[in-house]
Amino acid sequence: MSFLLRCPGCGARSVYEFRFGGEVKTRPAAGAPDAEWLRYSYGQKNEAGVQKEWWYHRMGCRQWFFAVRNTVTNEVLKTCFPEDTR
Amino acid sequence: MTDLTLHFNGEPVRVRPDDTVASGLYRSGLRIFSRSFKYHRPRGLFCLEGRCPNCLVNVDGVPNVRACTTPVRQGMQVRHQNAFPSLDHDLLSAAKAFGWLMPVGFYYKTFTHPIVWKRVEPLIRKVAGLGVISESPDGCDSHDGYEHDYLHTDVAVVGAGPAGIAAALEAARTGARTVLIEQSPQPGGHLNYQRRNHPRIGERLGAKGASKGLTSGQVAEHLRAQLAASPKVEVFVHACCLGLYEGNLLGVVQQNRAAGGPESHGPAERLLHIRARRIVVATGAHEAPLVFENNDLPGVMLSSAVQRLLNVHGIKSADAAVIVSPEPDGGPVAEALRASGARIAAIVPPQDVIAALGRKHVTGLRTVDRRIPCDLIAVCGLQVPEAGLIAQAGGRLAWDEQVSAFLPVELPAAIFAAGRVTGTDDLEAALSQGEAAGRTAARSLDLSGASGDGETRAPKPSTTPPSLLRAPSAAAGRSFVCLCEDVTDKDLCEAITEGFDHIETLKRYTTVTMGPCQGKMCHLASIAACARETHRTIAETGRTTSRPPASPVSLGALAGARHHPVKLTPMHSKHQELGCVWMDMGEWKRPLYYTGGRAAASKRELVEAEYKAVRERVGIIDLSTLGKLDVKGKDGGKLLDKVYTNRLSDLRVGRVRYGVICDEAGIILDDGTVSRGSEDRFFITTTTGNIEFVHQWLEWWTVGTGWCVHVTNVTGGLAAVNVAGPKARDLMRKLTDCDLSTKSFPYMGCAEADVAGVPCFLIRIGFVGETGWEIHFPADYGEYVWDRLFEAGREFDVRPFGVEAQRLLRLEKKHVIVGVDTDATSGLLAADMAWLTKADKEDFIGKAALERSRSREIREKLVGFVMQDDLVPDDGAAMVIEGRPVGRVTSSRFSPAKGKAVGMAWVPAGVAADGREIQVHVRGIFGRARIVRDAFYDPEGKRLKS
Repeated sequence: MSFLLRCPGCGARSVYEFRFGGEVKTRPAAGAPDAEWLRYSYGQKNEAGVQKEWWYHRMGCRQWFFAVRNTVTNEVLKTCFPEDTR
Repeated sequence: MTDLTLHFNGEPVRVRPDDTVASGLYRSGLRIFSRSFKYHRPRGLFCLEGRCPNCLVNVDGVPNVRACTTPVRQGMQVRHQNAFPSLDHDLLSAAKAFGWLMPVGFYYKTFTHPIVWKRVEPLIRKVAGLGVISESPDGCDSHDGYEHDYLHTDVAVVGAGPAGIAAALEAARTGARTVLIEQSPQPGGHLNYQRRNHPRIGERLGAKGASKGLTSGQVAEHLRAQLAASPKVEVFVHACCLGLYEGNLLGVVQQNRAAGGPESHGPAERLLHIRARRIVVATGAHEAPLVFENNDLPGVMLSSAVQRLLNVHGIKSADAAVIVSPEPDGGPVAEALRASGARIAAIVPPQDVIAALGRKHVTGLRTVDRRIPCDLIAVCGLQVPEAGLIAQAGGRLAWDEQVSAFLPVELPAAIFAAGRVTGTDDLEAALSQGEAAGRTAARSLDLSGASGDGETRAPKPSTTPPSLLRAPSAAAGRSFVCLCEDVTDKDLCEAITEGFDHIETLKRYTTVTMGPCQGKMCHLASIAACARETHRTIAETGRTTSRPPASPVSLGALAGARHHPVKLTPMHSKHQELGCVWMDMGEWKRPLYYTGGRAAASKRELVEAEYKAVRERVGIIDLSTLGKLDVKGKDGGKLLDKVYTNRLSDLRVGRVRYGVICDEAGIILDDGTVSRGSEDRFFITTTTGNIEFVHQWLEWWTVGTGWCVHVTNVTGGLAAVNVAGPKARDLMRKLTDCDLSTKSFPYMGCAEADVAGVPCFLIRIGFVGETGWEIHFPADYGEYVWDRLFEAGREFDVRPFGVEAQRLLRLEKKHVIVGVDTDATSGLLAADMAWLTKADKEDFIGKAALERSRSREIREKLVGFVMQDDLVPDDGAAMVIEGRPVGRVTSSRFSPAKGKAVGMAWVPAGVAADGREIQVHVRGIFGRARIVRDAFYDPEGKRLKS
């Protein structure tokens, strides 16, 4: 694995500068049933294809951002800072 | 040029300064260079370009060095491998008599009985194998280790043969920053060892006065001169490309010619990480051997090897030579041999070959109709494109029947190919291809300053008939396909009969292509054998995958320089002065306990003295390693409420709260203190070593919320100490005007104040259970404040205390250390921290899980225990009920306060009751423990709050 990841703050960098933060998942609302919490905490879609995921630029601007990446080819289609969505 | 001397097996050998180890030894008369892996057959020089295993020797303690690509050095110690007692007389060659016991895949057939295998396997290991690893690092101290280097470039060209040089020059002319990578000592590729005449090349190159044509050598010189004159091309020689990785990353290992020997300097090898926007693969082609009987005898060489010996090293390699070639005139090697004064005994087409004759060296060749005496057999083999990098990059290779080669037919984006790797054998075509590739690569980058359009000519189909891979009339028994692993044609046929008829399984079962050459000599032949025996075409049979490294690489080069970063606190020199035993906490160095001036004392005595100082007087510990976060902004409270299990937004200014962070499953991630310095400012401490995680965690929960909050890691910027003990206040009063009375500065309070004139942040908390303050101050004042504190404390007999004493002090107070007493399965409620969360708190991370666990049974609980006997359990000892382990001790120490060992442990919830007896497994004995609910020392916290 040696692809480049374009940090929205700093530009294209070696993927080893970053920490992978997992698939983007929607946090269940308070009071959601147990099954939903279990799925959120422990379930992954493990998409073999394009997925939206979290990355943290630990050796750079130390910001969390989204990446849209094809998990099969490691082609990164898009990176962006999250808007006020949470 | 004066001659040098190297030593071969202890004997001095005169060599020329421009020799390789192989050419130098060959010139001195050595013919057997090694013994083969399994049968210990004599092996001599074969390919002379680092692609076969025949010349592997031990150089200066380093095993498996390819003699043919290693330049000589004065005083070099070269030793043979894998032969006893000598290369000439190897007793282990008796192994070939037992060949019938060791057919291909024999470890699945013979010796399979466990007892037999246990006896036989060590013997086989001793007898087979190549070099021996030396005990000392590298066996050679005369270099400065290994280095990694990083480059970015527009265009990288791999291979500096004519096509590669043309590509690099053209890319540079088109405006690209270009890197040219070449594994031999100088650019030129096959032009450096061939002696051909190229009639029209002079005009093509624009060389002056060259209407007659140029020789290979002249073309090479011309190209090298152009390279030297091009400022935009950076050339790396002695540099081998290991692999082409994702994202156009090239891994290149460069040998440092200057390393080794008495005047060495610099690293032995350098690993270059080259990130290129475009890559041109011009790695050329190598010659494949012909498979026939005894084709591995010393004296059988590839025609390119013979040319290298003659043209590059000037060594007359034969008196009478036989050339095996599909060309009636024998090709360029015939001229070279004649020029050296050798007699060409015969030129034999490959299909007529049967066997090489001789025992330790070639004495003749048997063909279908005669025996020809000779002392050299030069084999003109098939040209095999070195397309490994293209395959690694995801390009597709397909079998071309006309050229008899796997050629690249689909190239991934940003990868280009030129020269013999594409199947082109014509020099002009190679140059054109190279130029086209270089230009296209550079143009596709949209660089300014692109120069004029040149004409690109399509490659001319080769007129040379391709050679064969195998002599059809040769017996399969002693026809070697894989030189590295001693796999014969017969072995392959047998394996296919046994059912391993797919090229992938055939490879794994016979180990063909799995030796040092990694298939360079044998891949194609093994595919051809598989195709032949299974009645398929080569295209149908396919090839196995190409993986990095494309050439052998030393682990040292991959590892690079050994950097172990170490973090030192601002007071590090103070601890050194005092004398202490150090411990590693992650990357930090912390004093475990102090030893200064008391050499004879035991660890236990020293730690107890520190303990006593804190309990009875005052002690000071360096806490600079704690993670520290500055949380600023009007929404800081919102963030902390979300992330901590307890409420922090209502923390008053000047107050401190202990807090725990959990994940969504209610598992404890970290704990620490939260102090409110002002309305919009919180100061958080975390466990040493967890700061990165907590910082990232806080950032993650902030992002996208729109909250006004900024989290800053101030760990490195602040030094910290804990001054603790009944006399702590008296000590501090001498250095600060801040009112430290309990009335003004109660337990769990905080304030900014000057201490010894230095602006500090004081936090009154009690991890160790005594009156005390955590003092945080700018790191630059570390030593100054430490000195002032110890000065002020002298009258109270102040002592420094280390991590071991701190662990004991806090254990007596039953204070949890996250990561020691808890792990990745420790939930908040199970760890006895229910008081840290209230049912009415709004949503926080882990709330749902905690509510869930409230309604469910908790299986394990964290409790305290006191030993009833005099045993002191180890950390991690098992808690035992009726002889069965049911839990484990997390921390355990002898407690001076109790006079017995105390500790914390995870036990089944059913026995987690105050007063309950339980057993502990202490180094073979079952000790008795009693579960205790409260802290072992000052359970009401009177001393803390006074």
